[in-house]
Amino acid sequence: MDTSSPSAFVNGALLRRYIGQKVRTVIQVIGSDTGSVVGKSTDDLQIVVRGPSTTPPLTTYLEVIGIAESDNSIRAETWTNFGNTFDPQNYNELCKLASGEFKHLFI
Amino acid sequence: MFSSSQFEPNSAFSGGGFMSSQPSQAYESSSSTAKNREFQGLVPVTVKQITECFQSGSEKSGLVINGISLTNVSLVGLVCDKDGSKVTEVRFTLDDGTGRIDCKRWVNESFDAREMESVRDGTYVRLNGHLKTFQGKTQLLVFSVRPIRDFNEVTFHYIECIHFYSQNSESQGQQAGDVTQSVNTTFQGGSNTNQAAPLNPVMSSQNDGNGRKNLDDMILDYLKQPACTARQQGIHIDEIAQQLKIPKNKLEGVIQSLEGDGLIYSTIDEYHFKHVEL
Repeated sequence: MDTSSPSAFVNGALLRRYIGQKVRTVIQVIGSDTGSVVGKSTDDLQIVVRGPSTTPPLTTYLEVIGIAESDNSIRAETWTNFGNTFDPQNYNELCKLASGEFKHLFI
Repeated sequence: MFSSSQFEPNSAFSGGGFMSSQPSQAYESSSSTAKNREFQGLVPVTVKQITECFQSGSEKSGLVINGISLTNVSLVGLVCDKDGSKVTEVRFTLDDGTGRIDCKRWVNESFDAREMESVRDGTYVRLNGHLKTFQGKTQLLVFSVRPIRDFNEVTFHYIECIHFYSQNSESQGQQAGDVTQSVNTTFQGGSNTNQAAPLNPVMSSQNDGNGRKNLDDMILDYLKQPACTARQQGIHIDEIAQQLKIPKNKLEGVIQSLEGDGLIYSTIDEYHFKHVEL
């Protein structure tokens, strides 16, 4: 059992706190290109995700787990389609709680 | 010789509303620690919570989180390193973003086998299982695996972990009332997050048996401040009422009892008070 690579729950605003660290977030896909996806975070900030060169069909919401490169971009290691019916507001509140008073349950 | 009414089953239970008050009492005492330790339900946790309690505890009686001995847990995460080479057993690792844990699933019937077929590496699943420590390592013996279809379940699981944790911290005497409030507003779809949960009324209803809480503590805390202890003539009760935003009539009774207990004393007149410094 190993807790060596926990990923922090972030939204657009929290991303800057974890630059260089492993993070996870859900974005609403706005557009995609070869090797990168542009999306809107759960708190309406723009995030660019650089990932593997093959981009499989994407649903509206995409969870990205990877390393935060800057305050608005992530280098993805894995991404998972989160479907079209996802509640970004709930996820946003979760990010705030998980980075705030309940951080010790997660990281 | 024996009075038959003594042994009649009906009369044994009909006396004094015994049955009716019991269930509501049991419900209310869910905050008592005795009941918590017998809790045997399915607890939503993160892998980090499991590893933490294992490291701090190492009790023979089993893993304990927040004073609750855990056996059955519920987790949500990504499947990794699935190894289905053995016929009767499937092993994999669950990565839920807070850590990784080894899982084992015994496959005895075709139902189990079918369930495990649909689980691949990289699939998000909901696991229910039994925590077991073996040779120093904690493992999860899984009895139920379900791939997740609606990903709101992922958000829900983590919120549930937070909720369960804060509920149990609260019942152990910590003042987490405001935290539970904020979690409850999250449940309502995040639209009420700007509502500041009123702290004082929640706390006053929880700590009645404790004697020195709420009002007494608030007054004492206020009077203990260096700005107040420095003032020779003491603090007027009106000022205390203003600062703490509590009506004066509520304060009067409490101040009298604090005075009687020797914690505060009156100074230049009967309306000025200072904290007794030892």
